[in-house]
Amino acid sequence: MLTLTSPVDTPLHRLPAGGKLAVLALFTAGLFWITSPLWLTLSLAAVLLLHGLGGAAFARHGLLLLRPLWPFVAVVGLWHLWTGDGIAGISIILRMLAAVAAANLVTMTTRLSDMIAVLETIALPLRPVLPPRRLALAIALVIRFVPVMSERLAQIAEAFRARSPRRAGWRIVAPAALAALDDAERVADALRARGGTE
Amino acid sequence: MPLASPFSDDGILLQDASVAFSGRRVLHGMSLHLTEHRIGIIGRNGSGKSTLLRLIAGLIAPDAGHVRVDGIDPAKDRRKMLTRLGILFQNPDHQILFPTVEEELAFGLIQMGADKAKATAQARARLAAEGRAHWAGAAVSTLSQGQRHWLCLQAILLMGPATILLDEPLAGLDLPMQARLARAFATLPQRLITITHDPASVSDADRVIWLEAGKVHADGPPGDVLPEFVSTMDQLGMSDADADLSG
Amino acid sequence: MERSLSHIALFAALIAVLGLVPKIDLAAGVPITAQSLGIMLCGTVLGARRGALAVLLFLGLVALGLPLLSGGRGGLGVFAGPSVGFLIGFPLAAFVAGFVVERTTLAPVWAATAGAVIGGIGVLYAFGIAGMAVVLGKTMTEASYLAIAFLPGDVVKAVLAGLVTQAIARARPGALLSRA
Repeated sequence: MLTLTSPVDTPLHRLPAGGKLAVLALFTAGLFWITSPLWLTLSLAAVLLLHGLGGAAFARHGLLLLRPLWPFVAVVGLWHLWTGDGIAGISIILRMLAAVAAANLVTMTTRLSDMIAVLETIALPLRPVLPPRRLALAIALVIRFVPVMSERLAQIAEAFRARSPRRAGWRIVAPAALAALDDAERVADALRARGGTE
Repeated sequence: MPLASPFSDDGILLQDASVAFSGRRVLHGMSLHLTEHRIGIIGRNGSGKSTLLRLIAGLIAPDAGHVRVDGIDPAKDRRKMLTRLGILFQNPDHQILFPTVEEELAFGLIQMGADKAKATAQARARLAAEGRAHWAGAAVSTLSQGQRHWLCLQAILLMGPATILLDEPLAGLDLPMQARLARAFATLPQRLITITHDPASVSDADRVIWLEAGKVHADGPPGDVLPEFVSTMDQLGMSDADADLSG
Repeated sequence: MERSLSHIALFAALIAVLGLVPKIDLAAGVPITAQSLGIMLCGTVLGARRGALAVLLFLGLVALGLPLLSGGRGGLGVFAGPSVGFLIGFPLAAFVAGFVVERTTLAPVWAATAGAVIGGIGVLYAFGIAGMAVVLGKTMTEASYLAIAFLPGDVVKAVLAGLVTQAIARARPGALLSRA
């Protein structure tokens, strides 16, 4: 399945995933601690500069990932223009953009398998309630069944369209959920057929 | 001449086994001793043949009576069953659990106690031996239907079971695929138990069991059982009564 | 064990798939995504515990970098943005919705609608508004004005959650694990 990891190889791709996540956590915490617009601007600039390491296409893709934030930028901007406290508004927008861009950068430069390995390490203390193998199996099952169910949903929508002039809309949700329940029973069978979970 | 299965010691034994779903009996006091190399179980939809497969496989336990595979209770000792019994599900999408080919192949080995690195190496070796080394990291969603069937069979064969249960193995496949799979099955040294509604696919079996309404209707060599099955099915097809609801 | 695991994983996949389908047009042409409907169904169909775990698994995969949120969003960035409160609230919303269905004897349609309103709106909005207040530097009251824009869509989805849960209860009475 498609992941958000960028196919453009950057120097950041070669850094260990755990290290990148630790730096990201510190950086994000720091962003909420500093208030000076100057420092926030520098933080955002630093994150954007790191995007630049990957070249123009990589950086452009990084900016595209920020697009869902524009309604919030607009609302906060207008709000603070209204209240006349523009500096505070700019700080909030800078902080939000820097935090999201930094997090996206880690996602874009870390392979899924490395992320899963970090997650399994983090989950180690939970071993008694959540054995690592069960977690890995659960993750694999979701990745396996998203395309399967996606196809199924398209079939259900087609079956609806074949007998209706309207689009299926929400009416496909119930058959989709039933299909998920049926698939779950079969997956349980397939798991048990090969030894089950301990 | 029917070959004796090289793996058989005791075979599969059902003693007075019954299964009911929410009070409705699906299998009635079934007693069978299966030791032949190629066994076919035929019946109409709803005859209980899929339930019988699930019962033999240990996916469900009998409500009465018992089931033994080489002396082991298949529903209780799942781990021990892995080397005795493999199941090929009708739809590969109901069997494949993992997003990539090598993960799917390695899973069964890990379940049998191999560590991940060793299991992955073994899976890759099998792919290479079959001339498909480049499949290792491929996403199963990119495989064709026939390729998925092949993957499912390999995943089971890697675990080396003595018996393989096949659930309608050829249903819904195009003719070249059917021929290819049938040929692959024919060369397997394992005991094969094929569950189907299609008499042609079990005409070479050593023994055919015909299920009707959750009971054994006939049991014997294909030459004895299949002609009567075919003529009965033809007669049923001539009549037009399909209005009964189950339950 | 296998059944629990497979239900949790398959419903995590269901949430993802419901976010991938194009936006559903409601009667008045208001576009909503079915994803949060998926969150509510996890609770009302699977029950509190399994439902919450399915949502957690889904969020885990989003955090790992899979683009499973509606609109193909995903990765760690969404947890740093203004919607983070809603994401944190998702598993709790599913838990509460499931709890209501498990612990009441109402007909599935009413229990699930009530659960979806209490969990999928009440609990979810409390977290979502708090998240927006923190990230956007606003008071809770100010942030709640922003959330009101989503309210009509979510009320509709709560009703749909009730109807879908009822449809499942009718089609497969045994499959409604929240009532098993």
